[in-house]
Amino acid sequence: MDFSLSEERKMLQETVARFFENSYNDIKKRSEYLDMNDGFSREFWKESSNLGVISGLISPSFGGLGGSGEDISIIFELIGKSLCIEPFLSSGLLSSTILSSIKNPKTDLINEIIDGRLLVSFAHMEMNNRYEDHFVESKAFFENENWKLNGSKSFVINGDSADKVIISARIEGKINDKNGIGLFLVDNDKINNRSYNTIDGYRSAELNFDNVNAELLCKDELALECIIKANSAGALALSAEAVGIMQVCFDLTLDYLKTRKQFGKSIGSFQSIQHRMVDMMLEIEQVRSAVMLASSTFETNSSTRDKNISAAKNLVGRVGKLIAEESIQLHGGIAMTWEYSVAHYAKRLIMIDHLMGDADYHRDRFKLLS
Amino acid sequence: MNFEYSEKEEKFRTEVRDWLKETLPKYLSEKVKKYQRLTKEDYELFMNNLSKKGWIAWHWPEEYGGTGWNAIEKHIFEEEIVKASAPRIVPFGVNMLGPVLIEFGSEEQKNYYLPRILNNEDWWAQGYSEPGAGSDLASLKTTAIDKGDHYIVNGQKTWTTLGHHADKIFCLVKTDLNVKPQLGISFLLIDMDSPGVEVKPIITLDGEHEVNEVWFTDVKVPKKNLVGKENEGWTYAKYLLTFERTGIAGVPNSKSALNHLKMVSKKSTKNGKPLIEDPMFSSEVAELEIDLLAMEIFNLRTVSAAAEGKAPGMESSLLKIKGTLVRQKTTELLRKALGPQALPYLPEQFDEGWNEMPIGPEYAGPIAKQYFNMRKISIYGGSNEIQKNIVAKASFGL
Repeated sequence: MDFSLSEERKMLQETVARFFENSYNDIKKRSEYLDMNDGFSREFWKESSNLGVISGLISPSFGGLGGSGEDISIIFELIGKSLCIEPFLSSGLLSSTILSSIKNPKTDLINEIIDGRLLVSFAHMEMNNRYEDHFVESKAFFENENWKLNGSKSFVINGDSADKVIISARIEGKINDKNGIGLFLVDNDKINNRSYNTIDGYRSAELNFDNVNAELLCKDELALECIIKANSAGALALSAEAVGIMQVCFDLTLDYLKTRKQFGKSIGSFQSIQHRMVDMMLEIEQVRSAVMLASSTFETNSSTRDKNISAAKNLVGRVGKLIAEESIQLHGGIAMTWEYSVAHYAKRLIMIDHLMGDADYHRDRFKLLS
Repeated sequence: MNFEYSEKEEKFRTEVRDWLKETLPKYLSEKVKKYQRLTKEDYELFMNNLSKKGWIAWHWPEEYGGTGWNAIEKHIFEEEIVKASAPRIVPFGVNMLGPVLIEFGSEEQKNYYLPRILNNEDWWAQGYSEPGAGSDLASLKTTAIDKGDHYIVNGQKTWTTLGHHADKIFCLVKTDLNVKPQLGISFLLIDMDSPGVEVKPIITLDGEHEVNEVWFTDVKVPKKNLVGKENEGWTYAKYLLTFERTGIAGVPNSKSALNHLKMVSKKSTKNGKPLIEDPMFSSEVAELEIDLLAMEIFNLRTVSAAAEGKAPGMESSLLKIKGTLVRQKTTELLRKALGPQALPYLPEQFDEGWNEMPIGPEYAGPIAKQYFNMRKISIYGGSNEIQKNIVAKASFGL
């Protein structure tokens, strides 16, 4: 049994940490990036590529340098610490997971993603989909030797700036059938695109498409497998991101308790506040442990993988709420301001529970897999 | 990172499991499974087996007869004895006093007491808490007055677990009344059959006799029974408490309780269907299972750091808090799972040889009683509130 990181992974961690700390050194920098055309900094994205951060999310079999559960967790925990809003999840992880899991992997596209030249978003959510892997309403049909798609996709992260989009659409069957789903690759300039910011600072889009030409990547059983795998990878990444965020929330709160004075003494001297900090610390260690377990079984069979990821994501949902709310409460008024960073961390932490399955969704999936 | 047990560790697990299968009598594991009352002889039988095998003293250095196990091996051993439904190892002599004597005792004390502990010749009790000294242990009032070659002890100890079986008791006593509370405490070994020692049972809320009051009236204790130096007992007392907290997460116990909960909630019904199919109830069970899964890894992280020689600091306190909450939650859900079947209370059901018809399923009998009994775990060993104070003081720098 060994719970420490290998020398190689420690190096990855140090390199990425230093890079993020330099480029994302405070919340004002993040706001600047957020206000850019694409909702993130292309320059930073290119540098991430040069430093090998994107390839850290992708397996060597497809030209990457990492891609294991541990690699994903290390990188996303640091993303959480910096509250980084670059397309690591959409392009770096979700799309590359699908492009590498199909029968004839799209290694050329993956390489372009790694190089930072291509952005691909994964469009699976729909307005009435509540995180389900197989609830798909958009339609696909085959006509004149071509696949065509009709329908709409919602909450597509980086769906505005992506060059290509991977869309799940129903080839046959009822809305909730496990069979009959296909995954398609579409050029984004052919899609009607309504772009907006999410409350936690990400750029997202609503996609509408009407008889748009598409390339079939996979269908039926394999398509469902790919969706599940991408959603699980995403849930793991977000859980690791949450660990990073929770730690920052805790540290910021502790610092504040030492400096803020009321009734003539630092508010950290009050026992009721100290005990709440211990509860936070304890629950963060619980989440950290669950994420470690989920990372370590990421490459095993899918039921162990998904069960442990669901355990982690469920805990992240529950503990995330505790940490976000307590960080704001213990700070008091200052945490209600846009200017102070803890508010942005708290918002992201809460909204992570609205992505890739919330605590209830993952609790129910954990039950099914137990 | 690697979460698997090594081949050597798995082999050790098999060795422990086989040995338990061979030596633990069926009647005894059945009693433990049914929460029946254990006699002094029941505890002694298991502990004597451990002694014969050389597996009794796992916190002692090998030169004193310890097992030499690292933290992971201790953890495996603990898991296996719980899985086998063996009685608990009575910890007061071997896990508490033993390490203190090894560290601070005189040669004479070590030579006399340690072999007796290894062979279970003495049944030790712990004399720490008093009616006025619980969480604030240093405010204890029992006095030991210097009379040349002996002390005269007066006062009262309480919550003395299994003290009615004990031959000897280690006590914290005041030897200097004129200094700060922590500075005037000494660590004294007292024979329970000395004139002036009286044990009175305390019946707990579940109707059981497990703990006692121990009264001392002009009890004469020879000076050679003082451990270490006079007035430095507080140091030894704290040293002992670090051993008390080892394994306090109680992961093996909670795992076995969770399995029990799943069994019971399959058999209990709601609207004629198994309760476990009720989404609300099964959700509570699932989130408890997730908490326990995370805690098991948290515990192993701490255990494996300890195996590499890093002393667990605030981690033991955090694990104590979480471990007790998780354990208590299993007893709460078990109680809820029973519905009205939790009501009947038949104390005689827990006597050996009871063979009347239970009311409702046999497994229902101990569950409500166990729920009330388990309220103690967030109180003893330093209450959860005290653990929070310890963590805050040690790691926040506030």
